[in-house]
Amino acid sequence: MTRRAVSFELNGLPAEVWVEPHRTLLEVLREDLGATEVKYGCGEGVCGTCTVLLDGESVNACTVLAVQAAGHTLTTVRGLATEGQVHPLQRAFLQHGASQCGFCTPGMLLVAEEFVREHPSASRDDVRRALAGNLCRCTGYTKILDAVQAYVADGDR
Amino acid sequence: MYADPFDYAAAGSWAEAVDLLRQGGEEAKVIAGGQSLIPMMTLRLATPGLLVDVNGADASRIERHDGRIVISAVTRHADLERSPVLATECPMLAEAASLVGNVRVRHRGTIGGTLAHADPAAEIPCAALVLGADITMLGPEGERRVPAAAFFDTYYTTALRTAELVTAVEIPVPPKDAGWSFLELLRRASDFAVVAVGALVTLDEGGRCVEARLAAAGVGERPVDLTEAAQALVGERVEDPAVREAGRLAGAAVEPSAAVHASSGYRRAMLEVFVRRALLQAAERARGAAA
Amino acid sequence: MTAPVEVTPREELRVVGTSVVGHDFEEKVQGALAYADDWRMPGVLHGKLVRAQLPSARILSIDASDATKLPGVRAVLTAADVPLNEVREEASGLGLQPVSMPVLASDRVRYHGEPVAVVAAEDPAVAERAAELVIVEYEDLPGVFDPEAALEPGAPSVHEDGNGLVTWRFERGDVEAAIARADHVVEGTYRTHHVDHAYMEPEAGLGWIDPNGVLTLRVSTQVIEHVREIARILGLPTTRVRVMGTYMGGGFGGKEDMTVEPYLALLVWKTRRPVRMVWSRQESLLARPKRHPFVMRYRTGVSGAGEILAQDVRIVGDAGAYPLLSPRVLFAGGVTACGPYRAGAARVVAVAAFTNNVPTSAFRGFGAMQVVFGYESQIERIAEAVGLSSKEVRERNFLRQGDPLVTGEEAETHVGAPECMEAALGALGEAVRRPGAGHLRRGVGLACNIQPYGRSRYIGDKAQCWIGLERDGSVTVRAGVTDLGGGQAASLGQIAAEVLGADPSRVAVHIGDTALTPLTGGTFATRQLYMSGNAALKAATELRGRIAPVAAELLDVPVDQLEFAQDQVRIRTNPARFLSLGELARAAEDQGLLPQHLGTFIAEAGEFDPRTGRGKTFPDYTYGCHACEVEVDTETGVVRVIRYVACHDVGRAINPVRVEGQIQGGAVQGIGYALTEDVAIDDGVPRSSLFADYLIPTSMDVPDVQAIVLEIGPGKGPFGARGIGEPPIAPAAAAIANAVADAVGIRITSLPISPERVLDALGRGPAVGDFSG
Repeated sequence: MTRRAVSFELNGLPAEVWVEPHRTLLEVLREDLGATEVKYGCGEGVCGTCTVLLDGESVNACTVLAVQAAGHTLTTVRGLATEGQVHPLQRAFLQHGASQCGFCTPGMLLVAEEFVREHPSASRDDVRRALAGNLCRCTGYTKILDAVQAYVADGDR
Repeated sequence: MYADPFDYAAAGSWAEAVDLLRQGGEEAKVIAGGQSLIPMMTLRLATPGLLVDVNGADASRIERHDGRIVISAVTRHADLERSPVLATECPMLAEAASLVGNVRVRHRGTIGGTLAHADPAAEIPCAALVLGADITMLGPEGERRVPAAAFFDTYYTTALRTAELVTAVEIPVPPKDAGWSFLELLRRASDFAVVAVGALVTLDEGGRCVEARLAAAGVGERPVDLTEAAQALVGERVEDPAVREAGRLAGAAVEPSAAVHASSGYRRAMLEVFVRRALLQAAERARGAAA
Repeated sequence: MTAPVEVTPREELRVVGTSVVGHDFEEKVQGALAYADDWRMPGVLHGKLVRAQLPSARILSIDASDATKLPGVRAVLTAADVPLNEVREEASGLGLQPVSMPVLASDRVRYHGEPVAVVAAEDPAVAERAAELVIVEYEDLPGVFDPEAALEPGAPSVHEDGNGLVTWRFERGDVEAAIARADHVVEGTYRTHHVDHAYMEPEAGLGWIDPNGVLTLRVSTQVIEHVREIARILGLPTTRVRVMGTYMGGGFGGKEDMTVEPYLALLVWKTRRPVRMVWSRQESLLARPKRHPFVMRYRTGVSGAGEILAQDVRIVGDAGAYPLLSPRVLFAGGVTACGPYRAGAARVVAVAAFTNNVPTSAFRGFGAMQVVFGYESQIERIAEAVGLSSKEVRERNFLRQGDPLVTGEEAETHVGAPECMEAALGALGEAVRRPGAGHLRRGVGLACNIQPYGRSRYIGDKAQCWIGLERDGSVTVRAGVTDLGGGQAASLGQIAAEVLGADPSRVAVHIGDTALTPLTGGTFATRQLYMSGNAALKAATELRGRIAPVAAELLDVPVDQLEFAQDQVRIRTNPARFLSLGELARAAEDQGLLPQHLGTFIAEAGEFDPRTGRGKTFPDYTYGCHACEVEVDTETGVVRVIRYVACHDVGRAINPVRVEGQIQGGAVQGIGYALTEDVAIDDGVPRSSLFADYLIPTSMDVPDVQAIVLEIGPGKGPFGARGIGEPPIAPAAAAIANAVADAVGIRITSLPISPERVLDALGRGPAVGDFSG
């Protein structure tokens, strides 16, 4: 139960925390590192609001221990924007009204970014399948799919 | 929302992991992907005293050796899903892995973890059973290997002994001409299956069944081998009414419990439907393979 | 009396009617917006509730000694620590005998999950462990878990005065005579179930005492006006308590009653420390109020030509253990139980009964949703009885402006249901319907609805909004609204921008603070656009009226020659002559005329007599029609929605993209309600409190929803808008049930339309009911 130093890269910057092993990555990101953009939604790995990218792959921050992130690279939604400019996918979300209450939005953006990065010419149905693990209670998904599809179609991204 | 404190040790090898587990005794648990264990701890359903992290004990690995596919226990579901080896040699396992949880769970969860966790509704244990996988375990007494059929005991309970862990899974490469199917009934995308069925069917040149293997998840206290229910198909064409009868026999062979959203009777009835569908799909693929 | 509605033509509007993106959405996509649990304070304590483990029991003792000994625990409070241990809301608004709800259960518990004690500790994990260590000794009491059984003589009493919470009776005309005259009497009983709001943001808040000694709570709530109840519980003047509402991660009615507020308030007041509380998802599923299960018994008399001669409806709603908003939910359900249809005579009796189930309260649709499943299933049965298409039956019976409702009051504005039906069916296109293969059968179905917006008139609803023009021409809007994510704040900014001619980017909207923003009433009952939208419109219009003469004088034209646009006031016929809004503000100030104004909107009043069930109820209604195509797997009972069209007449869309979003999101919540969502409760105990078992739809479980926004009949909101928050959730269950009937010829009368239920209805189901295994 002894604390240990854990360091990783968070949104391109080095981060070091001093944590006990039983603390989840979600708790440490939110409470120790101020990364409140990573949301608690269920604690079961079901809802997707705590999604972060671990070495570029989406994971549930609520089902990873902070100590397990040692030496890895983490990206939250705040890591998508570059030099103060919102990411084209974020812009697409704004233009298409893909965010209502906004609580699912960080996780949704990260999973969508990851998927389109891996599947640059994904179809609407591919995107629909890819986002099935991220719950949204406001939009009914239609405008989220509109936004991701527009991002896929935007060759300049 | 918060796990009770525990000690934590990351193992650099399987041997080290066993050593750590032995020292930890009954209080120790293995953590790999953690996709079941961590929620159980934060929901306060599990309170281990020591976690032995095996993510560094081995690499994610899917290799073909002669007639067998060897998969290291820390191989992630996502790696199974996109493995070129499995795509050609054992697509059923890739398919089963693609049906596990959601994308984030598949990025973390491991084949060894889901086998050792032994949720009776999980996909991979069911696939391991129908594929005739052998499970390699390492413990204080050394290494041993048991067939999947002897590995699963009851709910969340396996043949693993204290301080023993799963290190690898070996799957005999299914015959090239075997047709396969892995189907599941979901109430909602990304969830555990109400029932899941895996089927492997080999046909002769005349289209008659030479061998049929079947297993199901969600219909009992452990994944269930239902190959016996398909025995009557041997020598027959894989079509109605024979496949329907196989479904009926499968249904009669299980004693499903009720789940939140499915009664026992519904699970049995769905097993009958999905055994039939899986056998028909596997036979069709077998015919495709022969053509 | 039908009031004339003045509506600015669309072509004259600059900001209203465009899909302006609010500032909050820019924050949201960047992850920068701080929700209730994202605020931090030094030295904060963490609160955790101890909840009852039995649905009906006497509390014999509470032993907190082990919990208190845990290092880091700073308080364990029980009922004895609550200055006034009751939430006593008389929710009917008509002076009924109120039944109070304790903040913390004292002598007995009435539902599984009821708060019994509350812990504060230095660390949230310690608080959670301490809550587990509070030992409560119970004596099991008999409970009652079915609302109809609860009303039987001899049923175990949930409260001292029996299990009947409220009975509403509405009656117009001689129902029995009309039924005796009918060629067909169509009867049906429909049952709906408990469902959860399942907003993505669990209940959360932070409380502290500010430098003025004011107990301050920053919480995720739809209703900052609960400040009064919080003050009453603590025995403080209302002004010693301040509530700030955060942008919510969804609410849907579930943050309309208090959630964490009284517990935070108690812990802050006792410990004099800042306190944070967030409910786990599992707690939220276990114990937060749900949607009311209704048992609806319909008896409809129709002529041979399909004309509805009489509606006789009895509704029993399961209120659960405490009143909360059940009286109003049953009221709304009763008033709309006949749907957007005429009836020669009508009688509706709506009863709320106490049970030992989890309480039920507000949830998008608010009683007017459940009844759609009743009346729209009846329409299909009528069609079968008289041999017409259900579309024809609807056409022959649609309510028209001026027709009486069951209460005798008229439908005062245009009833757009017929146009919505035409549009929805047109978009669905009957031609594409094709039979499925083998065990897959396809069918189409539709359902229309009527949903009130605004609160009951006899409540006398009011809202205020303050608007000020700054010296640089930028605009401040202050209103006590709370924002659920539907753009409630941004819409007010759009209205102010429209009227004052300011660019929306130069309008700042401050919301949801009982100390600093004028109160508007909570965000519920689809009332905010109607209430605070009208208040903002009034504030902006009156402000403009006050400062326009200053501009007229400086530009030397009569006031009616001015137009406010592009951050200027200018001469309509000669736009080159203008003042910037900043110049106007400064000129007004120089004349001693402060360019700021508090606008007050008072909703239309009306009397309602609960003894006769007659009078004025809601200000107005929004109408709609949803149509869908489903595919039924006759071997598994699984129903898949293949296509879905949702159409509503919104009068005027203030922000079209947001209106579409409300419609699409509402429809998908409705699909979840229809098919998969179910808080299954066995004798008061939920079968599961895991979020994995509460099946809200994923992107794979629903099709794209085609939203059709009609602007036909002006409503009573600003610029002729009608409320659109609640209406789109309501038709889905009936539309899907009707499509299932079309596909396989069976009518599902209980929700959800689960695979097992469908298979049973098809006569292929297993012997069910064995959930005990």
